[in-house]
Amino acid sequence: MHNLSVIQPGLQTTIQDLGRVSHQIDGFPVSGSMDQASHRLANLLVGNRGKTACLEFALTGPTLIFRVATFITITGGQFSPTLNGKPIPENEAIRVHENDELAIGSANAGRYGYLAIKGGIQVPEVMDSRSTTLRIGIGGFNGRALQAGDQLPISPQETLRSFGHRRVNQAFLESFRDPKTMLQNPLVIRILKGPQWSLFSKSDQRLLQHQQYQLTSEADRMGYRLAGKPLTTSLKSLLSEATVFGGIQITSNGQPIVLLADRQTTGGYPVIATILTADIGKIVQCQNHQLIQFQLTDLKTAEDELQKQTELLQRLKAEFIEQRYQAPIGINRSAAQRIRGLFEGGFSKG
Amino acid sequence: MKPYQLITVGDQAISIEFPNEINPEINLRLQALAKIITADKVVGVQAVIPAYHTLLVTFDAMRITPRKLKQQLERIIADQLAAPLPPKRTLIIPVCYEDPYGPDLSDVADYAGISTDEVIKRHTGKSYLIYFLGFLPGFAYMASVDDQIAMPRLSKPRVKIPAGSVGIAGIQTGFYPVTSPGGWRLIGKTPLTLYQPDNPEPFYHAGDEIKFEAIDKETFDVIKQADELGHYHVKVVTENA
Repeated sequence: MHNLSVIQPGLQTTIQDLGRVSHQIDGFPVSGSMDQASHRLANLLVGNRGKTACLEFALTGPTLIFRVATFITITGGQFSPTLNGKPIPENEAIRVHENDELAIGSANAGRYGYLAIKGGIQVPEVMDSRSTTLRIGIGGFNGRALQAGDQLPISPQETLRSFGHRRVNQAFLESFRDPKTMLQNPLVIRILKGPQWSLFSKSDQRLLQHQQYQLTSEADRMGYRLAGKPLTTSLKSLLSEATVFGGIQITSNGQPIVLLADRQTTGGYPVIATILTADIGKIVQCQNHQLIQFQLTDLKTAEDELQKQTELLQRLKAEFIEQRYQAPIGINRSAAQRIRGLFEGGFSKG
Repeated sequence: MKPYQLITVGDQAISIEFPNEINPEINLRLQALAKIITADKVVGVQAVIPAYHTLLVTFDAMRITPRKLKQQLERIIADQLAAPLPPKRTLIIPVCYEDPYGPDLSDVADYAGISTDEVIKRHTGKSYLIYFLGFLPGFAYMASVDDQIAMPRLSKPRVKIPAGSVGIAGIQTGFYPVTSPGGWRLIGKTPLTLYQPDNPEPFYHAGDEIKFEAIDKETFDVIKQADELGHYHVKVVTENA
């Protein structure tokens, strides 16, 4: 069963699904993938359900050997993945064979990448989730980031419907999350007024929207600290409240922290604004020193943008179903797949 | 009926906000609401997260709109506010207040101007509501301790506090489920294992009450051993609220 060997672990590679959502009531960080849109896209490309566990890697990805044949894809940041030394594209289903070596390499743009494997990574669930929470050592693979020599459970997969169609084109990526935005400087991130917005002075509210912030090196799965001219409203301490993914807290030095996947479930700093769910992936993908410009918008826009992102995935899923009987016909039967593999001499998609 | 507001937080959460105070009556209402919202399986609701005076309800915006969810929550809240509170559950937690387990006990006694025995008497003299769990898994925010022993937290937090330590921070009291940094005044330690990574779900939850029971060092060792073997059972008292 332990069919995926870790040769090099990368900088911080963890197993993540969409998080331990329902146990926040007991103080458990939700965790799950930082860039959930890319996580969902990855699973869709290999025919998994959206919440299936993937590998998440940061800045430098792992090198892995597959001990069984299966299908994979890589989404998220722009890495330079190779299979047995030959470059392979991202955002497209790839067939891997027994003993193929996948090297993800380093991020040329973006920060987090996702490797989805058909059938998922079958570590046991801990409290309804396979997500790793490093800070408290639970979930994923023994509650920790991967290390060289680890063997992960995946299952052999011989068929993938509509295989030859399972890729996304540039136009899709541009509407899903324009890759050019990764190079925007400053990057525009849309926000909504947070629960404590009105406790801040008008000049602080303006400063938040009109200055450029820089992402500092204090950035991890818990949150990203930004640096700019400090806000000056002094607030007496607040009673702790539950936190949300993308909440922007202002700490006592007047600087923002963006709360992310491994955030504490409750916090006492005022939340001046929250980032649109549709834009969380964008800020998560920023590398250190990136300039960020917040743009205030309304709930209607936030809902529309999330709807748009979701519909793109739904349409893609529907297309893959329709394309089952269009050439090139997908890999439906294992015998046909093996014969085809012989002709193709390995991993190319034909 | 308590006044409350429904506030959207981001695009996938609604906060039920009661008056901004640490008040057991308000919090017990929130806990009851949390249970009902979970049990009702409202379409699209993903999680409920209580704090002192707020209950955050997170939802999947692709399955329900904030407007619709607000309507449903209003109905649930109206029903709940009219109903009696569910029965109260009190857990008895043994605590050893002797050296070396309570490094700040004498400071708290000095702050209060009373003896250390009197501090222990005050701390064990009432039960504390778990308002919510946060900061760390199983870290329970409990209140309210006797005003006289409500010493503010350390100005410089400790780097490492052993798991099981029991402390005071203003009117709050609590225990550290895992070894971690923290600024609470440490007055004792429980022999119970509060957090096990291989069985991480805590045995106490928001809405429960905790009553501390003073034990000596010998009893601490006996209970610790029994608990590690899985033979110790926490005493639970259930009564009507």
